[in-house]
Amino acid sequence: MDCISNTRSRLCFVLLFGNFLSSFVSVHGLNLWPMPKSANHGSNTIYLSTNFQLSSHGSNYSDGSGILKEAFERMVNLLEADHTTNSKFPNFSVLAGVNVVVQSPDDTLNYGVDESYYLNIPAKGSQLYAQIEAKTIFGALHALETFSQLCYFNFTTKVVELHAAPWTINDLPRFPYRGLLIDTSRHYLPVPVIKSVIDSMTYSKLNVLHWHIVDDQSFPLEIPSYPKLWDGAYSYSERYTINDATEIVRYAERKGVNVLAEIDVPGHTLSWGVGYPFLWPSQSCREPLDVSNEFSFKVIDGILSDFSKVFKFKFVHLGGDEVNTSCWTTTPHIKQWLDNHHMNESDGYRYFVLRAQNIAISHGYDIINWEETFNNFGDKLSPKTVVHNWLGSGVAEKVVADGLRCIVSNQDKWYLDHIDANWQGFYTNEPLTNISNPAQQKLVLGGEVCMWGEHIDTSDIQQTIWPRAAAAAERLWTPFDKLAKDPEQVASRLAHFRCLLNKRGVQAAPLFGFGRQVPSEPGSCYKQ
Amino acid sequence: MPPHKLPISIHALLFLFLLCLLASTSHGRRISVTRSNSNTSSAVYLWPLPKHFTHGEQTLSVSPDLTLNLQGVAHNSSIVQEAFERYRDLIFKSWAHAGSTSDYDVSTLNVLVSSDNETLQLGVDESYTLYLGRKQSGSIVDGATIEANTVYGALRGLETFSQLCVFNYDTKAVEVYNAPWYIQDEPRFAFRGLMLDTSRHYLPIHVIKEVIEAMSYTKLNVLHWHIIDEQSFPLEVPSYPKLWKASYTKQERYAVEDAYDIVDFAKKRGIHVMAETDVPGHAESWGVGYPDLWTSENCTMPLDVSKDFTFEVISSILSDMRKIFPFEMFHLGGDEVNTDCWQNTAHVKEWLTEHDLTTEGAYQYFVLKAQQIAIDLNWTPVNWEETFDNFGENLNPQTVVHNWLGPGVCPKAVEKGFKCIVSNQGVWYLDHLDIPWEKFYTSEPLEGINNTEHHKLVLGGEVCMWSETADTSDVQQTIWPRAAAAAEKLWSPLEATAVYDLNQTVLPRFQYFRCLLNNRGIAAAPVTNFYARRPPIGPGSCFEQ
Repeated sequence: MDCISNTRSRLCFVLLFGNFLSSFVSVHGLNLWPMPKSANHGSNTIYLSTNFQLSSHGSNYSDGSGILKEAFERMVNLLEADHTTNSKFPNFSVLAGVNVVVQSPDDTLNYGVDESYYLNIPAKGSQLYAQIEAKTIFGALHALETFSQLCYFNFTTKVVELHAAPWTINDLPRFPYRGLLIDTSRHYLPVPVIKSVIDSMTYSKLNVLHWHIVDDQSFPLEIPSYPKLWDGAYSYSERYTINDATEIVRYAERKGVNVLAEIDVPGHTLSWGVGYPFLWPSQSCREPLDVSNEFSFKVIDGILSDFSKVFKFKFVHLGGDEVNTSCWTTTPHIKQWLDNHHMNESDGYRYFVLRAQNIAISHGYDIINWEETFNNFGDKLSPKTVVHNWLGSGVAEKVVADGLRCIVSNQDKWYLDHIDANWQGFYTNEPLTNISNPAQQKLVLGGEVCMWGEHIDTSDIQQTIWPRAAAAAERLWTPFDKLAKDPEQVASRLAHFRCLLNKRGVQAAPLFGFGRQVPSEPGSCYKQ
Repeated sequence: MPPHKLPISIHALLFLFLLCLLASTSHGRRISVTRSNSNTSSAVYLWPLPKHFTHGEQTLSVSPDLTLNLQGVAHNSSIVQEAFERYRDLIFKSWAHAGSTSDYDVSTLNVLVSSDNETLQLGVDESYTLYLGRKQSGSIVDGATIEANTVYGALRGLETFSQLCVFNYDTKAVEVYNAPWYIQDEPRFAFRGLMLDTSRHYLPIHVIKEVIEAMSYTKLNVLHWHIIDEQSFPLEVPSYPKLWKASYTKQERYAVEDAYDIVDFAKKRGIHVMAETDVPGHAESWGVGYPDLWTSENCTMPLDVSKDFTFEVISSILSDMRKIFPFEMFHLGGDEVNTDCWQNTAHVKEWLTEHDLTTEGAYQYFVLKAQQIAIDLNWTPVNWEETFDNFGENLNPQTVVHNWLGPGVCPKAVEKGFKCIVSNQGVWYLDHLDIPWEKFYTSEPLEGINNTEHHKLVLGGEVCMWSETADTSDVQQTIWPRAAAAAEKLWSPLEATAVYDLNQTVLPRFQYFRCLLNNRGIAAAPVTNFYARRPPIGPGSCFEQ
């Protein structure tokens, strides 16, 4: 580390003291994020041709929809990172392009799709080509991301270099579900912002965007079956047309990201009644949705029917958390209805959730529900239920012991809106804690970091998500035995990845401190 | 292209005629403050407000396949063509082209530019007129027409046009409300700047470009690039290739080609890039590659005034930069010079004695010598105000004095015949998080200058984004929306911005513009937070935060 002057020695002291910086500024190290399953490399430097080519000799994938071609072009743009490259690159050790071989001709992004890939980058020979082999196009997309992270722009020669060749990388994800939640009810997020979040997810190989579309505060999405629902939007223009939603899904799927849509019932629904006041128990008591009114379920059916045309993911999220049933017991017609059906308000809650589950199943969905549903009546839930943990640790082990599937998002570690949750906690949060039975381990689909939007809008969403979400992303991708036991061991590599995000225009915050911290003083991105 | 000349002048005459007809109600102050969610809102939500405008009550639909009809001598201008493509992408949703076949009121945007000179210099004509109405058969005023004297005026007109295009969530079409619109617009000040500091934190090229793009939305037109400072020297200088050894890391650098690229990107948006090398203070990083520039190993600032080598390096840096930065103004810094090292280092002290100079005298000597280097390269030197405050009478008469310490400097500078740029830190420093947007908005660059002859010496103003605590993660949210408040002050006529009760007159429109920035992906922070760059205080609409 060079501390060039007296005035900078304070910074040097801080860094050494913080034990944060070792030698990671070197561009030669293994700085991939997330770490692949296996990576072997040599020690040669090769140079990317300025006319870097995509080929697909031996591939079964025709790329009729242009997914691969677009991904390749995006990657080349990222590699050059807006730099002007020198066309007079060396005439030896030049990598002419990448050959992508995909086994499956199908580019439907199903849940659990094979995301594995093999990447080989030779170091010697003429007309060098990197070789990518994958079962599906989505594995190939991950391979391109990995490849891009091996490349550096050399500012002196103006050539994109690839160090430590030859490379052989075999990689596949540990969990099939690697999610990020965004919340467009507390604050509206414009479509371009959602797209930029999707872009940034692919850099750390996250693959599910959980779209918490609607909540108490606003109902931004157009529902053709019930066109007054989006009267509950914040304003005329803070809305998503159904075409916007279709476009977001299309955009995400082409990058290997599934979109999990959520309607959170029966609580968290105040905004529904703006357009349809009958959904409220009464004018003065507006949540949860009126369990006694058939109209409530007709609307849910309409919404899920419309969803099924847009959101093609295997799952839909039905919420079910934080249901305060006091409006049901204090509103005479609902109290009467409960009595007539020999239910107390807890029964009403269960009745509501299970009925909503059945509606979702009738539209072809598997269901995800927040953990309160399991905690209260887990034995009654449909076997198609995936229980979404959030309240704390220890839930997943109970869920899988009962034979249900689970997604981990314990709020103390994986809630991004908890600004005091640091990246080290995101990194070390282990979804399989206390689950040793392999059959039960399989029931843990993965995990998700949650970006609740009370204090999040376009201005700060990316800096609150990143780099902490990336720390969780490695936990969800990389084989357990390759994960660092002490997160400080990966600090330099994560700092490097944060700078990569910055270079790509993603507003990832410094690692030091809590979430969304501004840099405390001047300094290198790699050291903050 | 003579055949195009005639229609242009007829258009111009007709515009003037229409404007005269409607001018009685055309002042910028006439804006409605009511906001509603309805698509028939009568409010005017343009930022910055144009000089003159009138509007009607019609609603026009705009075709998602809008085409550009670029006429006049600049009919091949790639600057206008590319800008049109950018704005079309901003205006229309990405799915909008699918399937609709109905008739639209506006399917062609006519742009007439009367000069093919694309030289971008200070004071370049940025005026434009915009007519936006229903296409009428037999009328030579077509549905949508922008007229400008230069391509840069056309760019400003395109921005205004884009702000009038609003998505209708009922019809799923883009519409223009309150048509027909007649807008005649030009900037109040020629220099409308934003400063970026890439020494305290490196900003990737992508991020700089995004800032430039956002500047164009507010019609700011000068990116003041404070490239180098004590902490790091990120720019490649071919003549002295060790200078950028002082970059933070090998990846936190700008190659010469990167700088060219940034200048070109900015030019395509009508934005000048004014580069700065801040001498003799704020230059510690220079000595990493060339320790002789330090007075000694343990006294590293300011640059060694006693060595010819110091001025050789400055001269070479400026020569290299001259090739990259075509803008006629160049910033030489000159602020916050602590001359203790000169006093305390034996060989410098000796040199001072030999030349019969005090340290203050040496400071002046240094600044003037650097000015001469810049002038010899055909640059107008810009210096921070300390140079004027300390030895204003000796500054080169071409000097542009850059105010920052406080109010009242430009009145003194213009009194002495100098040009001036206002950046009073109490109102226009973006790194001061406790300055609310209202202060940015109400700061008047001509305050205290009573002699109107002197007004033209105030080139304009600049908001400064010093980046001790700003990097890629937070730079945009620290800049916006406050910089936009200053942008309107610098663009719109005085009578439009000298208003009372900002909350009634300006705030809703300002909030609307902040949401527009968000919709374009710019991380502009909430307007009404007490401190800048803070997250929204709770759930709510963008238009109310």
